[in-house]
Amino acid sequence: MDMNPWGAMVDWLLEPLAFEFMQRGLLIAAVVGIICALVGCYIVLRGMAFLGDALAHAILPGLAVGYLVSAGDRGTLFWWALGTAVVTSVGIGALSRGVRIKQDTAIGIVFAGMFALGIALISTVRNYAVDLTHFLFGNVLGVTRADLWLTAGVGVAVLVIIFFFYKEFLVLSFDPTLVTTLRLPARTLEVLLSILMAVAIVVSLQTVGVALVVALLVTPAAAASLVTKNLRSMMFLASVIAAGSGVIGLYASYYLNVASGAAIVLTCTFFFILIWFGKSVMRKVKGLPVNN
Amino acid sequence: MSKSKKKTEHSWTGPALELRNLSLRFDGHSALDNLTLTVDPGLSVAVVGPNGAGKSTLFNVLAGILSPGSGEVRIHGHLPAQHLCLAYVAQSSHVDWTFPVSVEEVVMMGRVGLLGLFRQPTRKDWDFVRESLSRVHLEDLGRRQISELSGGQKQRMFIARALAQEADPILLDEPLAGLDIPSQDQILNILDDLKRRGITVLFATHDLELASRFDRILLLNRRLIAFGDRDEVLTTNNLTEAYGGTMQVIETPEGRIMIGDSGGHHGHEPVGRHG
Repeated sequence: MDMNPWGAMVDWLLEPLAFEFMQRGLLIAAVVGIICALVGCYIVLRGMAFLGDALAHAILPGLAVGYLVSAGDRGTLFWWALGTAVVTSVGIGALSRGVRIKQDTAIGIVFAGMFALGIALISTVRNYAVDLTHFLFGNVLGVTRADLWLTAGVGVAVLVIIFFFYKEFLVLSFDPTLVTTLRLPARTLEVLLSILMAVAIVVSLQTVGVALVVALLVTPAAAASLVTKNLRSMMFLASVIAAGSGVIGLYASYYLNVASGAAIVLTCTFFFILIWFGKSVMRKVKGLPVNN
Repeated sequence: MSKSKKKTEHSWTGPALELRNLSLRFDGHSALDNLTLTVDPGLSVAVVGPNGAGKSTLFNVLAGILSPGSGEVRIHGHLPAQHLCLAYVAQSSHVDWTFPVSVEEVVMMGRVGLLGLFRQPTRKDWDFVRESLSRVHLEDLGRRQISELSGGQKQRMFIARALAQEADPILLDEPLAGLDIPSQDQILNILDDLKRRGITVLFATHDLELASRFDRILLLNRRLIAFGDRDEVLTTNNLTEAYGGTMQVIETPEGRIMIGDSGGHHGHEPVGRHG
């Protein structure tokens, strides 16, 4: 071994890649990061973080049923979770429209009820604690080749939808009144955005799990929003932060031996704090108020 | 779907706006009561009345945001839902000013309905946006982030968006609220320009003196008190009926002064003068 620091650095970076599960884990962490960051920009701009978190928890019964009927087959789990997420997001909308319940109250009711149902279902299986942990906190090292392809396909689909509906989603997020006067299909756009959110949550189950997915949706987008002036650059920067956090977090998890989902989320949080702090310092230097 | 909407034919010979027996109730009390009126194309109409008279509610019904409880709205002969040529410049507090969009991107939003699904703006659309911005004298600020605009510039940006939408009629809800005098004058000049171009404008305001600059005045207090030109509408009887106990009309050597309580918590404040 030479003493060249660059050589040591390269070795340090390459060592985990000797393991196939780490290669797959790094790839999926980056792809999931990008999907969540893109969808997360809309969540941050529309102030729907609470809905995102609720949706993530509410898919647990769907995962549980998928798990019970398929004995843990990942593909089946994916479709059950996605179906539950779509039904829940449409359900929350209908509940808050139909009866006189404020939307955040409706979300709270659906969120907790569904989460409890999920735990109840999973607890009927013996030895449930391990599987429940994987749902709650992710299992990035258990990712198969098929998972990787499915996630990549989902990523491409999300990109295509955002590209084609970019201007409509922009109007919907900025000025819902204009959606009405321009006679855009408001309900359809809302449902489509809910489906994107559901998809992002379901693919991120593999990396960070139900409990932490909201961080992946919100933190990179929020960090990017601090330093960008249009939606395209916000989406780009959020994707870079999220994909970077996925990779860095996984390395941290490998070398520091901490839970991978937590490491990824903490890396996102670190980037957010860094950017927030940097912006505050810049504003101080320029003599501008910090909170503006 | 959007294609057929775009092709909705206008009957430009008929009225721009037609209300027939329009009523709306909220929580059991009447918000709009049996409004019937027609507005000819190209007219500018001031919509006045005390707070809670239903000015914003009326605009929301015209825009298709609220559906009328009973009665009918026609815009160039069509139901509101069939139409995309109406623009609503709501009170500007309704959007998030930190939203990452530039001024010209907001104005381009006006063309999203005309473009239809799956179509991206072309060079022509951007030219149209720049043209709309120069109509409201914001041509140099197109690339600014929207939070960098002043209050008056924000209102003008929304008027430019209505122009980019190629809208007629344009509804403006209290567009001068909170603006300084020079900014108010700029917007009034833009309204004169809209008028020269034959665009129908409805303008909600508290200011009766300002209202008398318009072709027609619609005096509203849930029901239609009067609709016509200023001499027909701004009479002692009509104003007393609209403003009720909160309105006092005093004849002075300088002319007729109307004192009204528009807020309820400021005590008496003058709402305008008509000499």
